[in-house]
Amino acid sequence: MQNVVERILNLLAFLLTVERPVTAEEIRHTVAGYDQGNDEAWRRMFERDKDLLRQLGIPLELRPTDVWEVEHGYVVDQDEWALPDPGLTDEERAALLLAASVVQIGGSATGPEALLKLGGAPVGAAGEPLAADLGSDQVTVADAFVAVGERRLVDFTYRDKARRVAPYGLVHRRGHWYLVGEDRGDTTVKVFRLDRIPDLATSGEAGAFRRPEGFDASTAIPHAPWEAGGEDLMATVRFDAPIAWWARRQLGTNNAIEVDDDGNLIATLQVANPEAFIGWILAFDDQAEVLDPPELRARLLDRVAGVG
Amino acid sequence: MSSPRTARRLNRILAMLPWVIANPGATVEEVCTRFDYTPRQLAADLDLVFVCGLPGYGPGDLMVAYIDEDEVVVEMADYFAQPLRLTAPEALSLLAAGMAVLSSGQAPAALERAVDKLRGAVLPDDPEALVVDLSEPELVGTLRDAAAEGTVVSITYTGLASGATTTREIEPWSVFSTLGNWYVRAHCRLADAERVFRVDRIQAAEETAVRFDPPASLPPPVVEYTPSEGDVRAVIRLGPRARWVAEYYPVETVADGEDLVVRFSAQDASVTARLLLRLGPDAALLEGEEVAAELADLRARIGTRYGQ
Repeated sequence: MQNVVERILNLLAFLLTVERPVTAEEIRHTVAGYDQGNDEAWRRMFERDKDLLRQLGIPLELRPTDVWEVEHGYVVDQDEWALPDPGLTDEERAALLLAASVVQIGGSATGPEALLKLGGAPVGAAGEPLAADLGSDQVTVADAFVAVGERRLVDFTYRDKARRVAPYGLVHRRGHWYLVGEDRGDTTVKVFRLDRIPDLATSGEAGAFRRPEGFDASTAIPHAPWEAGGEDLMATVRFDAPIAWWARRQLGTNNAIEVDDDGNLIATLQVANPEAFIGWILAFDDQAEVLDPPELRARLLDRVAGVG
Repeated sequence: MSSPRTARRLNRILAMLPWVIANPGATVEEVCTRFDYTPRQLAADLDLVFVCGLPGYGPGDLMVAYIDEDEVVVEMADYFAQPLRLTAPEALSLLAAGMAVLSSGQAPAALERAVDKLRGAVLPDDPEALVVDLSEPELVGTLRDAAAEGTVVSITYTGLASGATTTREIEPWSVFSTLGNWYVRAHCRLADAERVFRVDRIQAAEETAVRFDPPASLPPPVVEYTPSEGDVRAVIRLGPRARWVAEYYPVETVADGEDLVVRFSAQDASVTARLLLRLGPDAALLEGEEVAAELADLRARIGTRYGQ
């Protein structure tokens, strides 16, 4: 391991100072630790080292060595190397480390590596037990995050349809990650659940679109699943007294709610996605009933009969 | 592929060097606490840095790194003066973790400042593009306090599968969130066994005057459902739009093609029946008499409710 670490420190020192693209051949003959083995062994070693650099987040790029673009060489750009210093104080770093130790994404906690890069943690912060899991596949979320930050278009399949989307924002709510963006197909802003995207790929240049003025990702995602959709229905639902507390808890504060003399709850709510709405109502078994509109009652009954 | 240990070692060296360069006179103890080094490991890494540098590799080309009395000295290494940028997954998970803890309303002011600064550095164009909302149901605070103080809590709880409501005393061990739901892991005095309760199914929670001794070590904060002898089994075909079920519930895959066929176990047939009803035409029951009977019963009950 010592040899690898030395070799890479030498390589980085060289690339960070030469300020021009350096061919693989030049690296082999100039940088200490590389001039060894036959061609095949050398090539394998260099590939492994490049993988390691990528894993660490080191921006190694291949660029033409001159205007004729006959040869290409490696560059590590000082500007790309460093994150603009967020200027965290020790107290702020400690708070961040503690937060990272109680939250995980996609089943893995944030390693301390990230915080070391920001200047380490001043206290040997105690590893509190993990208390929240933000779910989802970490790679997809990270890819989407990069696309949002760099304003690059993304291509993916959603509900069996190929999409090209300008990603405006990334939101975690109710246990799921959502990508909010403009579908280039019909130029409307839509919400996509990331765990239902099997094949997210970034395409094209950075800065490919502008977000609408005043766009706020937090208001783009509805608070309840049935509020996200293309329809506009007002539904009246009766929740029986024994489960009224649970219904009330899920309804939130922006719905009109009445309680009758027997403790039953009559709620009036806006439904944009009848499918999701019916699914939610069915979770109450036979203890909730859609009173109005007849159209929604009919759709629910179709679902119950197994034909909808 | 280089080992993760190599990557971690390099990462730590590339984080430690800029900090020492920016903080001349830093002591061994300071550097060790901040970057989680033992003095021996630090000395080994400094020795390694000492033999690396620029081509020529003579005394004037190599970096200077050593421990003088109690002081860590790094010189001739200005190309490593800038800390390495965070990788996208690192930046995302740090930010998301910070924002998740902030949204729970439990965070110190330092975390708020840290998140603002980091967000400005990582998403300079549009800090509003990332939203993490981990809002807590009302009882989480009470339960967390009781867990911290070791106080027995009396809860009114409605079981998910059975729908039965009971009042019981629990010894809350930990409160955690996963996949959008909050849970409390506790010793249940009614069942005299360890139990995990979903917080949104707790109607009321009241701290008692009774204290308990928490266990020395806590199980990991995950909701593990282990199929057992008495479980109701079924085989279900999931269409493309219902594939999420396989990620959300612990299922065993039987066949995977355009549709996914899974073996689904639950403590109570009603859980499976309600799920099937919710999924509608996107799923079909292939095997499982008990579930089929329960599903027919559920359809009939809801039909009756709607006057059919």
